[in-house]
Amino acid sequence: MKRRNFIKYLASTGLLGYVASGGVQAAFAPSVRYLRPPGSHDEAKFLSKCIRCGKCGESCPNRAIKFFSTENGITSLDTPFIIPREQACILCMKCGDVCPTGAIPKIEHEANAIMNDVQMGRARVDTHLCLSYQGKTCGVCYRACPLQDVAIRVGMLEQPHVLDKCVGCGLCERSCIQIPQAIRVIPEHKG
Amino acid sequence: MENEKLEPSSKLRHLNKLRWLSLTIVFSMLIILLFVHLYQTYEAAHAYDLLTPTEKMISDTVETLTSPFVKDPEELSVIKGNTWSGTFFGLKISDPLSVLGQIFASLSFYWPFVLTALIPLIATLLLGRFYCGWICPATFIYELNDNLAAWLRKAGLPVSRRKLDRRIKYVVLAVGLVLSVYFGTVMFGSIYPPAIVGREIYYAIALGGFGAGAVFFLLTLLFDLMVSRRGFCRYVCPGGALYSLLGRYRLFRIKRNVATCNDCAKCNVVCQFGLDPLQDDFGMECNNCTACIAVCPTDALSFTVSMHDNKYQGPGHLGHKYRKENEG
Repeated sequence: MKRRNFIKYLASTGLLGYVASGGVQAAFAPSVRYLRPPGSHDEAKFLSKCIRCGKCGESCPNRAIKFFSTENGITSLDTPFIIPREQACILCMKCGDVCPTGAIPKIEHEANAIMNDVQMGRARVDTHLCLSYQGKTCGVCYRACPLQDVAIRVGMLEQPHVLDKCVGCGLCERSCIQIPQAIRVIPEHKG
Repeated sequence: MENEKLEPSSKLRHLNKLRWLSLTIVFSMLIILLFVHLYQTYEAAHAYDLLTPTEKMISDTVETLTSPFVKDPEELSVIKGNTWSGTFFGLKISDPLSVLGQIFASLSFYWPFVLTALIPLIATLLLGRFYCGWICPATFIYELNDNLAAWLRKAGLPVSRRKLDRRIKYVVLAVGLVLSVYFGTVMFGSIYPPAIVGREIYYAIALGGFGAGAVFFLLTLLFDLMVSRRGFCRYVCPGGALYSLLGRYRLFRIKRNVATCNDCAKCNVVCQFGLDPLQDDFGMECNNCTACIAVCPTDALSFTVSMHDNKYQGPGHLGHKYRKENEG
């Protein structure tokens, strides 16, 4: 093979590989709504730091942290996530304590630190589903919230209003008695 | 009398038993720690009466075993994690490969994490691939798999022992690093057997089932049986590649004493990494498993302090070849 042909061959296979890997990435594009453990926000930064040791899950007393297989793309294989409707974060901050990599930052188990540094997502109420907005006094989400009157407050007939300080732990979504849930945490990370 | 003289007496030959003890402890710790984790979650839930019978049994067993030592189940968290990254009484220790992967994936140094690899790094610089032989939980399974291969061989089934190019694993390491940069994520965690084993045990015990990594690990076991003896460790493992490089000038290495060697070649047969102790060729791959020391009938192999292997020293002085050459 001539050198020029060889270089062409190399370049074309390289290009093909690049396109193919792009295709793979697109095929496995995120399609799941999930939260990352408390403290981590930026998805790209999280993925570049997490080494998939699984210690966050092993330290989670509430067993809220689960691990991706291939359903969220190969780049997030074996990374931790939380589906609050299944099991929500209780903001104990133990995962950040054991994480060696800085993917989940260490945050003190204290209300102010949590309110300032944790931003997993933000709860949003669907007024068409919420019982309190249908005239049936409920208020369960408010009672489940660890940051009552700071992250969520209730108005007339226990109608919930999510405030700016909501950290997105998902305990409200977990506790909602409506099926499907009338309050959901919208993740903050750009995943 | 003749036989008694030949009976080897070196204490070093017991190192292989010690190594098996070490491997067994590491592997069983990976399992035990997860039952401890389950117990901790049961305790945190304050709902003993709501546990299933199996969960109650786990809770009771762990409680009975640990209650003499700790008052609060929370204290059991002093040992956590696996060999990929773990906490040991407040000391965080990580695999150097995980640190290297993170440096390339994030293109930055996160010092608190980089420093967790310091102890393994120094140990590897001194002892070479000792991690592969003494600690790696995958080695535990691979060596048992190699025994299986020996049985299959005896039963007349074909077990391939092909030789490939040792340098393949360096390519795997390099490609892994490039992919880590490209995808911006640590790729090694998914193809590095000790990380997979630690994680899959966790998935199986605490999360109710094996994940995708288990399939990959089974494939590596088949690779070892059908392509090459301990093939994955020798030719593919990126961690093995990194440790080989780091252990290039290791200080403690096994060497052959040509004066007491009798050319029996038992060392070459027993070496799962396919090295050639008989010709003084240990190279970067030797994982200090000490199997050759244990099998040597004349104690010709032992640890020495040296930065380099010997060049081939010629046939062993107790062997026929040497005698013929010197008498004739």
